[in-house]
Formats: sequence, C-alpha cells, structure tokens
Amino acid sequence: MTRDTLSKHAFMWPAFLIVLIVTLFPLIYALTVSFQTVRIVPPMPPEYVGLRNYAEILESGRFWNAIGVTATIVFISVMFQYVIGYALALTLHHNVPGASLYRVAFLLPMFMAPVCVALIARMLFHPVLGPVNEFFTLFGLANIPFLTNPTLAISVLIVIEIWQWTPFVVLLMLAGLQGLPNEVFEAARVDNISTWRRFRDITFPMLLPLSIAVIFIRLIEGFKVIDTIFVLTGGGPGTSTETLTLFAYNEGFKKFNIGMASALSFLFLIVVILFGTVYLAAAQRLTRRYQ
Amino acid sequence: MADPHVTLRSITKSFGAVQVIPPLDLEIRHGEFIVLVGPSGCGKTTTLRMLAGLETVTSGAITIGDVDVTATPPGERDCAMVFQNYALYPHMSVRNNIGYAMKVHGATPDEINERVSEAADLLGLEPYLDRKPKNLSGGQRQRVAIGRALVRHPQVFLFDEPLSNLDAKLRVEMRTEIKLLQKRLGTTAVYVTHDQIEAMTMADRVVVMRAGIIEQAAAPIELYERPANKFVANFIGSPAMNFFDAEIKDGAVLIAGQSLTLPKERFETLGNRSKVIFGIRPEHMRSSDHAVDLTLVPEALEPLGAHTLVLGRLGSDKITAQVDPRFPVEIGRPCTVKVDMNMVHFFDPETEVRL
Ligand SMILES: Nc1ncnc2c1ncn2[C@@H]1O[C@H](COP(=O)(O)OP(=O)(O)OP(=O)(O)O)[C@@H](O)[C@H]1O
Ligand SMILES: [Mg+2]
Repeated sequence: MTRDTLSKHAFMWPAFLIVLIVTLFPLIYALTVSFQTVRIVPPMPPEYVGLRNYAEILESGRFWNAIGVTATIVFISVMFQYVIGYALALTLHHNVPGASLYRVAFLLPMFMAPVCVALIARMLFHPVLGPVNEFFTLFGLANIPFLTNPTLAISVLIVIEIWQWTPFVVLLMLAGLQGLPNEVFEAARVDNISTWRRFRDITFPMLLPLSIAVIFIRLIEGFKVIDTIFVLTGGGPGTSTETLTLFAYNEGFKKFNIGMASALSFLFLIVVILFGTVYLAAAQRLTRRYQ
Repeated sequence: MADPHVTLRSITKSFGAVQVIPPLDLEIRHGEFIVLVGPSGCGKTTTLRMLAGLETVTSGAITIGDVDVTATPPGERDCAMVFQNYALYPHMSVRNNIGYAMKVHGATPDEINERVSEAADLLGLEPYLDRKPKNLSGGQRQRVAIGRALVRHPQVFLFDEPLSNLDAKLRVEMRTEIKLLQKRLGTTAVYVTHDQIEAMTMADRVVVMRAGIIEQAAAPIELYERPANKFVANFIGSPAMNFFDAEIKDGAVLIAGQSLTLPKERFETLGNRSKVIFGIRPEHMRSSDHAVDLTLVPEALEPLGAHTLVLGRLGSDKITAQVDPRFPVEIGRPCTVKVDMNMVHFFDPETEVRL
C-alpha cells in the first residue's frame, strides 16, 4: 500500500465511523425497533412482530387522517408563505420608504420559538378572552370557536404557520433579488418592458431555482410541524388537527408504544420522501421550460 | 447647428451634495456618431444614463427629436442601450433575447422572426440563435446585445463601453462593425469609451470630457490637429504629446538652451512671449519643409517594428520621440532629431488654452 492510499484511509475512516455512529446507528436501531413491540410502561420484553406495526398503522384511519391534516396545513401555508413572502421581498427590494425598518420587523416572527408563538396565538384566539373574538363581537358576531371547530382550528394553525414562516421566504427571496444583475433590469426598462412583464419574464425565471429551493425547505420543515399544534389544540378537537409528528408523539409518549412510534417515524420518512420526490420532479419540469 | 436630433440643455447631475456634471450642453445631429471620451470617473456613463432616462437629471432639459423627454421614463424615449457587461437575459436563448422586446410590444411572430434573422445575419449570429448567453464567448454576447438594440429600430443608440471586455483583436474588429452598422442604418448614436483610439476611429465627433465638463467637441482630425487645450492635447494621441515650458523670442522657441525657429506666419500671430507651454507630438519629430534640429539624451528605446520610440530627456523634462527603425541612436549619447515646426502647439501657461 502506498503512502497516498494510506493517508486516504486515515482521512476516510474516522469520518465514516462518525457518520455511522451519529446518524446510521440511531436510524438502524429505530428501524429494528419498528419491527418489535416495545413498551416502556408497563415494561414488556421486546418481541419481534415483523411488519405488524406497519400494517396496523396503515389500516388505521387515524394515520390517513394525520397525513391529510399535515398535507393540508403544509401545502396551504407554504403556498401563502411563498406568495406573500415573495411579494414582500419585491416591495422591500424596491426601497419603499422605511424599508430598513420593515426589513427588521418582518423578520421578527421567524426568530420566535414556535411554542411562544402558539401560546400567544392561544391567547389571541381564546373563545372568550381573546382580542380576535372581541374584535368580531364589535361587529355583533357571536363568539367564534376558533380552536374547537375542526375547520377553524386548522385555519388558525395555517395562519400561524404563515405568520411565522413568511419571513424566512422574505429573507431568502430578498437575498436572491439583491443578487440579480441590475443592468439586466435596466436594459428591460430601456426596452419599455412593463413592471409586470419584467417580473414575469425576467425576475421570476431568474429566481426560479431559488424559489424551488425555498419551497422545498418549507415543505420539508412544514411536514415536521408539531410544537404549535401541541400547545394550541393538542391535535383536537378529536384528531382533527393531529399531524403525523403529533400522532407519532402520542403513540410514543402517551401510550409508550415505542415500536409503533418507530414504525410511524419510518412511514413519516417515506411520506416526506414521496412528496419531496414528486415536488422535485414537477419543479424540474418547470425549470426545464426556462433553463 | 442645423437639425439637431438630441439636445442636452444645461443638464446637471448631483449625487447628494456632490455635483458630478456641472451644466453641460450638447447638440447631436441626425445620424451622427458621437463618442464621449475622458478619464475614468469624468461622468461619461452618468451623461449617457441621463440620456437613457436611467438617471434623472438634477436640472436642465433633454430633447430627442423635438420632444422634451426630461421627465419621460426610459422606455418611452425610444433609445436602445448596449451595456458594458452585455446585460443579456440569461435564461433566454439568443433568439428570444433579441426578439423579446418586440414580442412584448405585440409584434407578430413573422415580423419578429424576420427582424431577428435580419439582425442575426448582419451580426453573424445565425449559428448561435438557439444557445443561451452563458454558452457564448464575450464577443458573441456583445453582438447579441447589439442585435437586441438593432431590432428595435430605435431613434438613438446608446453604447456604454461595449467593447471594453473584449480582447484587443476582437475590439478592433467590433469597432469597425459597429461603425459600419451605424452608418448603414443611419441611426444617431452616442458611444461612451475611455479608449481614445476607439473614440478617434469611430466618431463623427468626439466629445472630450473632464470632471463633467466638455473640454472640446470636434471631429477626430480637428481634435488631433487643433486641440483646444493642454488636457485634450495630452489625452488625444498615442504616445502622448510632449510638453515643455518655453519662451518665444525673435521668431524662435527657446527650450532648455536650444533654439527652434518658428515658421514666420506662426511667429507673427504669437509674438514674443516670456512663458508658454510648447507641445510636440512624438510622431511629428520628422523632416518637413520646416524642420529644425532638437538634441535630446536617449534613456530607453522601444522598437515597435514600424518605428522606434526614443524615451529620453530634454534638460530635466521627459521627452518621447518617434523615429525611423534604422535611426542611429545610442542610449546615453545625445542625439539630434528633426522637429516639424508646422505641427507644434502652444498653450497658455495659466489657462492651458491653445494659443
Ligand atoms: N450612484 C452614484 N452615487 C454617487 N456618486 C456616483 C454615482 N454614480 C456615479 N457617481 C460618481 O459620479 C462620477 C462620474 O461617474 P461615471 O460613472 O459617470 O464615470 P465614467 O466617466 O463613466 O467613468 P468610467 O470610465 O470609469 O466608467 C464619479 O466620480 C462617480 O464616483
Ligand atoms: Mg462608465
């Protein structure tokens, strides 16, 4: 073995082992657990059950309901986050008066811990004490059960997601806009291209790769939403706002059914990969139209 | 001036408290090729951008074809601009880059195709029509940018140093191409460059600027032969003109203890002067019907093939002389060159204005 290949191994193996220990081992461990029944309370010896955990989950309506809830929250909120965030970024980019103040103000929600956001929202939307309801009663409306009506509860969760994560889109799109070459837009202005056409034909296509990345990040992150829902509705009323992560949490830490929770995590992973792949494939077709 | 097409009337531009263009007046004829030239930071780009409408004027007025466009947005001025770094739409093919503005303005596909292929033909771009800008060389990109300006059939072309990113050979080719194209189309053009050779070869009229002020606006030959002041004399011509403090006395110029006889009529207009700036271009150190001898001390030689540059000293001043390649010269040993006294220039030592 030459010195070259020797040093190659010296560099490679530690990294490989760390990856193995830090990421692969827990993953593999979780995978084995998902094929067993493991109960912590009451403690029971683990028992190999094959794919029974998976089958049980796939047969339960609660799982499919959770997928539906998660997908609804994620897709609707990410759509609004992107549209509103992009619009705000465009406005800020064009230096409206006081832009620097807005720039900071718009970013604040992102820095707040989701749990705090949820606590604040819980106060805001409180059926009796909340200012939102107070506002509506001003117009003579009856108290609105924001958090106890399934549709309204999901809407509130979506609004919170939008409120909290639009700044992320603003931040990245603004960075993208500021990185675009100025002259290209000046050339378009000299050629008498209207503002709307400049956006549609130049800005949007040039920022499309960034848009795709931003939406992708938000989608993946969105699928993991748990804290706001945990605090705000706890998945209720019933299971009408229970997302996949919350479902897994309930299985693992309320029923202490670790095998089930592990299986759920893997199904969750598959769901995310599935949605992600479909999304990226669609995005690629879109970019090909431009690139 | 008869039939001005574009006029700048006392336009000024300030960025905050800094005035970069003091009142500037310029009239440009129909079909004229105007080149703005000057050292870096003198306000050429700013002037051009004000003409395009990309920069507002602080005061003054701009008219294009008798219409006051001072407050008109860039798109409605009917100018087409070529930028230094091309400013092509990176995600569009060459064809779409050239045809995009027409498409937006509602031209029919046939019309667009026709004009695009016309422009592509003119600029030799047919093989690249379906490529993206990133897959083109600098020269090809620049031609696309020019094509994009051409197809609009604008009233005025504006060029901001379009050739400065190209290599020397391509630059020479492209400047001829642009010049011919402009003459063929007969479109008024304003061209910014800091390269005086580009300015001289392309322009109908060169506008030499310094710190926002027009030092001289004249045809290239006029600029070369009769520079309005020392700045222009120094800026135009390569290698640059030699300047010496001198005295005119009894029909001769006295420099560093040497006496150079002036042609009679020249002396009559100038008269005796105790202090003048004497200017002579290196290429005018040659024989003529009125040549006199000048002795200098060579310090270095630069053989350029067609001729040789002798860099030396006259008294304590630096001097550059252009001589025949076979001219006998040795470093350190004083040599005598001819000076064509028909071609010398005099400037006022205070105002630096031509005498
Ligand atoms: N947006 C701006 N804000 C402040 N000062 C500016 C701005 N744009 C240009 N200037 C100043 O105006 C002066 C003229 O600039 P301009 O770009 O017109 O020079 P130029 O003649 O084109 O030079 P170059 O040959 O280097 O391109 C410079 O001193 C520059 O610093
Ligand atoms: Mg410039």
